[in-house]
Amino acid sequence: MSSSTAGKRLLKEYKALSSDPPEGILAGPCDEDNLFVWEALIEGPKGTPFENGVFPAELRFPKDYPLAPPKMKFTVDMWHPNVYSDGTVCISILHAPGDDPMQYEKASERWSPIQSVEKILISVMSMLAEPNDESPANVDAARQWREDRKGYEKRVRDMVRKSLGL
Amino acid sequence: MDTLPDSTDWLTTSLPHFSALEAALRCEVCKEFYQNPVITPCSHTFCSLCVRRCISADGKCPACKKGCQADRLVGNFAVREVVGRFVEGRERALEVARGVGREEGRKRKRSVEGGDDEGVYGEEKAVKRTRSQAGRTRAVEKPIEVLDSEDDEVEEVEELPEGTTRCPICQMVMKPEEVWPHLDKSCKGAQESDRRTTRSRTNPTIQSPFTLNSPRRPSHTTPTPPPQRLPGLNYALLRDTALKKKLQDLGLPSHGRRDQLIKRHTEWLHLWNSNCDASDESRKTKRELLRDLDTWERTQGPGARDSDASVMRKDYDAQAHVETHKGQFADLIAAARKARGAKSTAGNDTTSAQTEDGKEAVEKSHTTQTTQQDSSSRPYEDNERAIDTVRQKVRATNLTGEIQPPSSAPTSSLPNPHTNADREEPVDQGMANPFSSPSRKLPMFALPEEPVVDVEQSAGMP
Repeated sequence: MSSSTAGKRLLKEYKALSSDPPEGILAGPCDEDNLFVWEALIEGPKGTPFENGVFPAELRFPKDYPLAPPKMKFTVDMWHPNVYSDGTVCISILHAPGDDPMQYEKASERWSPIQSVEKILISVMSMLAEPNDESPANVDAARQWREDRKGYEKRVRDMVRKSLGL
Repeated sequence: MDTLPDSTDWLTTSLPHFSALEAALRCEVCKEFYQNPVITPCSHTFCSLCVRRCISADGKCPACKKGCQADRLVGNFAVREVVGRFVEGRERALEVARGVGREEGRKRKRSVEGGDDEGVYGEEKAVKRTRSQAGRTRAVEKPIEVLDSEDDEVEEVEELPEGTTRCPICQMVMKPEEVWPHLDKSCKGAQESDRRTTRSRTNPTIQSPFTLNSPRRPSHTTPTPPPQRLPGLNYALLRDTALKKKLQDLGLPSHGRRDQLIKRHTEWLHLWNSNCDASDESRKTKRELLRDLDTWERTQGPGARDSDASVMRKDYDAQAHVETHKGQFADLIAAARKARGAKSTAGNDTTSAQTEDGKEAVEKSHTTQTTQQDSSSRPYEDNERAIDTVRQKVRATNLTGEIQPPSSAPTSSLPNPHTNADREEPVDQGMANPFSSPSRKLPMFALPEEPVVDVEQSAGMP
C-alpha cells in the first residue's frame, strides 16, 4: 500500500505532523496498515465558544491523493454553520477545483496538491472561530449565528460541555 | 517511521534551520526531494512526474492555479544539481549536526595537520594533501586522483567480478550503485579528503572511473541520445481498437475497459515524459518505467481496490453484529439444513444422513460449500480456533457413530490424490484444513448438531 504515491506522501505528512505538530492539532492514521483513513483531534480555538472543547474528526483520503482532497467528518455532534448535521465539514480547501457546489469560492482557496492535512486542520480551526455564512451547510446554525449570536454561543458551549461529558 | 527521511529530522539537531532548507528542496506535491525538477511558465518548480499528473488532472499549476500546459515545462537543472549534492551530503551532515560525528571530525583534523600517521597510507595522504593545497595556487594542474584511477582501470578491469567496481578512493570492491553511499558514509579515504572530493565533483573526469569500469551499464561509454517526448492523444477521436493498437505499439498492456485504457495511456505519458526530463545518469530504462506503470495500476489505477473496503471501524462490535443479524443467520441455517436433509427425516442420527437417500443432497451442498469457500479465499485457514472447534466435533462423531469410508461417495468426478490416505485416517487428513480440499467428503456435514452456528460465532466473522 505504501508503495503508492499517495501512501508515501501520507506517510511523510504523518511523520511531519508527529515530529512537529501545530498547536491544538493531533492527527494520524487510525491503523498504520491503512494510511487512507485518519483520525484527527482539533482543539477549540481560544476566545471562541468552542474553547476548551476537543473535537475528533475522521479524514478519508482518495487513492489519487494529493490530486484530489480528502473528506472530513466530525465524529461528535457539531453546531456550526459550515458543518452538516452528519458532521461533514464544508470548507473551500476541501473542494476540488473542478467542483464548486456553492459557486462562491475563489479557485485559489480550493484544494490543490500542495495543500496538506496540516493546512486543512488549521483551516478548520479558523473556520470554527470565524464561520462563513455565505453558503451555510447547516442553515439553522447559520441563521442562529446571524440573528441570535448569544443563543448560538450558548448552544455551542452546551455542546462542548456535553462532548466532554460534563 | 523513524527511518523515513524528512525535513523535520533537522529540528532536533543543532541545525534546526536546515529543516526549512530541506523543505525547500522537496517537491510540494509529493514531499520527496525534487526528482527531475521542472519549472512551469509561472516559475514554480515541481518534480516532472508530479506536475504532469496535476496538469492532466486540472490543467493548472498546483501552486498558483494559473493555467499551465505540460509541453511548456522545462527542466530546472540548477535545482537538480543542488538537490543531488544535498542528498549526497545529507546523511553525514545530519550525523554531524546530531553530534555523532563531532569526535570523528576532530580526530581527522588533527591527523591531517600533525601528519602522525605512519607508513604507506600516511604518505599517500600527505601527497594528496600537498597536491590539493598546491592546486589552489597553480592554475592548471592535473589532479592526482585521475592518474590513480586511470591506472586502476587498466590493471583491474579483468580481475573484478561481473557487476562490481572499485571505490575510486579506498579501492574496495563493490557494486556500482553502492559507490556513492559508500563514499558518503563509510569510505575512510573520502572522509580524509572532503575538500578534494568537493573539488573533484566539478571535474567530470573523476566520475568516469566507476562508471566506465562498470560492465553493468555499458550505455555510459556510448552515450545514447535522449528519448523523445510522446505527444498527447485526443482520445475522443480514437476508437477502442485504434486506442488498443496505440497501447500495443508502445508495448503496454491493452486489456481493460476504454476508460482504463485511457488512464493507462495518460499515466504512461506522464512516466515517459518525466523520464525525458531526467539527467543521463538517473534516466530509467523502459523496463523500469513499465514496472512503475504496473505499480501505479495496482495502487492508484482503475484496477486498484477501494481503500475503504478493508477498513473496519474502530468501534465495530462483532457481537452486536451477530445479535442484530441473528434472524438472518437462523434463516440461512434453516435453509441450508432443509436443502441438505431434503429427503432424510428431521432428527435423524449420525449414520442416517449417510444413507443413499441423503447422499445426493449432502454431496450437493458439500460441493457448493467448497466452491464458495474457495472463492472467498478460505476464511478459516488462519483461524485456529474455528478449525479446532470443527476438529473436535468431527472427532467426537467419529468416536460415537460408524461412518462409512468416503470412497463410497460419488467423489470420482473430482480428482483426488489423497483418496487412499483419506480412507485410512479420515480424521487427520480431513481436518488439517476443513475447506482447502474440494475432494474430501466430510462427515461433519451430516451431523445433526449445528456446526454452522458454532463456526460462525467462534470465528467472529461479520
